[in-house]
Amino acid sequence: MKLLNKSLKGHIVYSVLVLFVSMPVFYFELTSIVAEDVDEDLVAQKADLVAKMEKVIANKPFEYFQVFEPDIHIKPANTKRTKDSIYTISFFDSIAKENVPHRVLESTVVLNSEWYNITISKSLVDNDNLIFSIVMVQAIILVLIIMGLLFITRYHSKKLWKPFYATLGKLHEYKIESEKSIELEKTDVDEFADLNKTISNLTNRNHEVYLSQKEFTENASHEMQTPLAVFQSKVELLMQTTPLTSDQAELITELSEAGQRMNRLNKTLLLLSKIENNQFTDKESVNIDKAVQKLAEQYKNALNQKSISLHTRVAGDAIINANQTLIEILIGNLLSNAIRHNVQGGRINIIIEPNQFNISNTGNTKPLDASRLFQRFQKQTADTNSLGLGLEIAKRICSLYKADITYNYADSLHSFNVSFNNS
Amino acid sequence: MKLLIVEDEKELSKSIVAYLKQENYLCEIAPDFKTALDKTESFDYDCVLLDITLPDGNGLNVLKGLKADNKTDGVIIISAKNSIDDRIAGLNLGADDYLAKPFHLSELSARIAAVIRRRRFDGNKVLVLNELTIDTLAKTVSVNGKGVDLTRKEYDLLLYLVSNKNRVVSKNAIAEHLSGDEADVFDNFDFIYAHMKNLKKKMVQAGCEDYIKSIYGMGYKFDI
Repeated sequence: MKLLNKSLKGHIVYSVLVLFVSMPVFYFELTSIVAEDVDEDLVAQKADLVAKMEKVIANKPFEYFQVFEPDIHIKPANTKRTKDSIYTISFFDSIAKENVPHRVLESTVVLNSEWYNITISKSLVDNDNLIFSIVMVQAIILVLIIMGLLFITRYHSKKLWKPFYATLGKLHEYKIESEKSIELEKTDVDEFADLNKTISNLTNRNHEVYLSQKEFTENASHEMQTPLAVFQSKVELLMQTTPLTSDQAELITELSEAGQRMNRLNKTLLLLSKIENNQFTDKESVNIDKAVQKLAEQYKNALNQKSISLHTRVAGDAIINANQTLIEILIGNLLSNAIRHNVQGGRINIIIEPNQFNISNTGNTKPLDASRLFQRFQKQTADTNSLGLGLEIAKRICSLYKADITYNYADSLHSFNVSFNNS
Repeated sequence: MKLLIVEDEKELSKSIVAYLKQENYLCEIAPDFKTALDKTESFDYDCVLLDITLPDGNGLNVLKGLKADNKTDGVIIISAKNSIDDRIAGLNLGADDYLAKPFHLSELSARIAAVIRRRRFDGNKVLVLNELTIDTLAKTVSVNGKGVDLTRKEYDLLLYLVSNKNRVVSKNAIAEHLSGDEADVFDNFDFIYAHMKNLKKKMVQAGCEDYIKSIYGMGYKFDI
């Protein structure tokens, strides 16, 4: 949930609650006040009527009242009722021509020792309309106030959180390898200023750590070359010593092989840091098909040794604007993996399509762990010749050219797909 | 033959001298830029092994100095920076070859031999070892004057072993020499055995003594 909505949520819930509780309460309160008023009015009217009746009744029939006051009915009564009753009832109104609620007062009075039944009725239609209008106006005002409040709060929050969102946006775009630290907008809110300062410091520090780490890899690899050269030369001189026993020869061979591996590891780490340092800058149009052909020729011996059949299908020209050496390293790594992890008499399929290519091979019948595949030194075999850096390099090259590299296992084929975004 | 080794790492220059001793080269060592400049200005060498990164200067400037003085010393750059730019810069300045550290001494020895052969002006580019004759210009091999038909790889292999004669050449060095970068990817020596077997067979069939000896599975030696 967005921060703005989250802060508004409480407001909205409270406002709706107030609206829904206050409207009926307001309505009923108003109705009861009006009813009380009408009742008082009816009682007063009755008292007035009785007073008038006492004066008039001696010589005028009580129908007389009916003429002037259509709401008053007077009938001689048979039964004596002691208490007045007031109730609400709907009946047909000749003026409004519809059923209209009325408030009715029924009373029994004694005049000249005769019993009369008096009913005074009062139409409630006007009152109801009034109540309805008042409630409506109130409701509209309430809704307007609430909406206005919400809008204002939202607007203010938005304005208030603007530096926060600006910071967030900058953080999203931040790349440790390309920027020193984030330049953040100035803000007059202390907390945000503090946040921005902390983020600036943090990114700055991260970038420095990143640089020094990168530099370390590069320097370490460079510095390693001289002792490695010394080591290798001494091992070679050791080979020339006489007399030499077979035991010594075996030890020297093992030393030489260990040296060779260190050497390869070092070269690969150097290559990695060169890619990371973006030292392969010249770009040209590289034809993937031609590169594949060249590498297949280079790996012919290795392919023959395992009797691996290589099938290349070109479904369209894939021409990438990139560094030739890097693209060859990328394809070479994938191809050599496909050979190394293949079975005797296996198969390698290469499919080249516009802007992408796919290399799949037979091999181990279990799919590889895709989440660890592209990480440094994550070897999934015990093969000592594999350094565990080939796919890391492939991934680096891909990310340099904004290409996606994915692994998939289907139909007993391990397949790597590289797709270049249209550039 | 006079060689100058411009290399600041003492142990490495010592190794090079020890390895090349067999070839009867006269090796001199220049451990820094200044000595290198002094020596190349005062004397002529058949081949100069030049390290680029020296404590007091850039080795490429020694090369520039040589070219400015119109000297004909052969130059092999040995550098820790295995970058294509450096390689191109060095070769453009007139270096004969470029070798990235770390390298096999046998590879260095073969490169030095090649540079010296190329620089000989008497036209003698033929190696004669008893009954065996290798014409490095025509890339042909003959035994007792009779041609032996070798493949390209077999010829390379023979020349490499001869360039390092009487010394053990490791399998790794051979693999790297024959297949370049591919040896990095596949640590497999089977293809060396195959080439070696064929070479030995052809040589013996042509009437050549079996000079190539396997040394405890460690490597091979052209023993003469």
